[in-house]
Amino acid sequence: MTESKSIIEIWVYLSGSPLLALFLTLASYQTGLWVYQKSNHNPLANPLIITIALITTSLHFIGMSYEKYFQGAQFIHFLLGSATVALAIPIYRGIHELRGRLFPLLLALCTGGLVSIFSSVGLCTLMGADQAITGAFYAKSVTAPIAMGIAERIGSSPTLTAVFAVLTGITGSVLVPLILNAIDFKAWWQRGFIIGIVSHGIGTSRAFSINTEAGTYASLAMGLHGILGALTVPFIYKLLNP
Amino acid sequence: MIPGLLQILFFQGLGEIISKLLLPFLPGPVIGLVLLLLWLMYLKDINTSLASVADTFSRYLGLLFVPAAVGIILFIPQLQQNALTIVTALIMSVVFAALSSALVLRWLSPDHPSTSESSAQAKDQHD
Repeated sequence: MTESKSIIEIWVYLSGSPLLALFLTLASYQTGLWVYQKSNHNPLANPLIITIALITTSLHFIGMSYEKYFQGAQFIHFLLGSATVALAIPIYRGIHELRGRLFPLLLALCTGGLVSIFSSVGLCTLMGADQAITGAFYAKSVTAPIAMGIAERIGSSPTLTAVFAVLTGITGSVLVPLILNAIDFKAWWQRGFIIGIVSHGIGTSRAFSINTEAGTYASLAMGLHGILGALTVPFIYKLLNP
Repeated sequence: MIPGLLQILFFQGLGEIISKLLLPFLPGPVIGLVLLLLWLMYLKDINTSLASVADTFSRYLGLLFVPAAVGIILFIPQLQQNALTIVTALIMSVVFAALSSALVLRWLSPDHPSTSESSAQAKDQHD
């Protein structure tokens, strides 16, 4: 009797402190990474998707609400802003590569960014998607940490935006190499740059594992696309939602 | 690592202040990113502490948006209702964006040995 009572007391204490949410997040992430490595870095075994699936299942199982989970996990969430600022370093490392190629690279970036926004928002509108879903597609083309900041500014859901951004990264890291092969696009710097524009973080880490030049250009494109998105998405949103 | 973290927090704070006072449509961290980039371009150097913090962040970037992304459980009905639209929009926007940006990049940079040299190298490696 007393033993079971004390276990309940410990449980009440633990589930009220941030410890449980933090432990759950880190343990799920570590498991996700482990599965991803075991699958030989298959983009479909994306560590984030595994992490999110594990956490949502556990929350359901232990009966913890999302609000309660977030109260604990917000200590991780806070670092997102700092990580965004730190994206300046990979951009700086790649920025000298722009010399002599500035015009083609920036124009390709603007084209890819705008086409991505207009095609996804256009398709959502045509197919009659929910307002919340369509709103989350505006910023999803850029890397998730910046996309969430933009989503907050235009009043759409940062959560949906982050999830769509991750899904875009996964889709891109599978499809973009196939598309580039199909149109005979072979130079590493060009391949890397397109991969960085379209499939941001996930594509970039894959690009680095294949070729350093491709990786440098991919992280440059990912960072620049983030800045471009932050500058343009609020205006595009206003334009289409007067 | 502490000096690097301090630099990042400093630029993040600066970005937040500028966002609040001058540019409310831009997220503070993005302004901080641009300011730090300009500062690095002025210094022409990255100190090792800053580099190691930035590399740690980029290595575990995925972990940092897990708490927000778990919020997906609040949207399950909408996701189910719009599943086909979401999948279509995700795939088509990736295809269109990749094709359009790749074609623009090719048209605008005809001077470099894109297809001939690299593909020859790639072939050599295969043989």
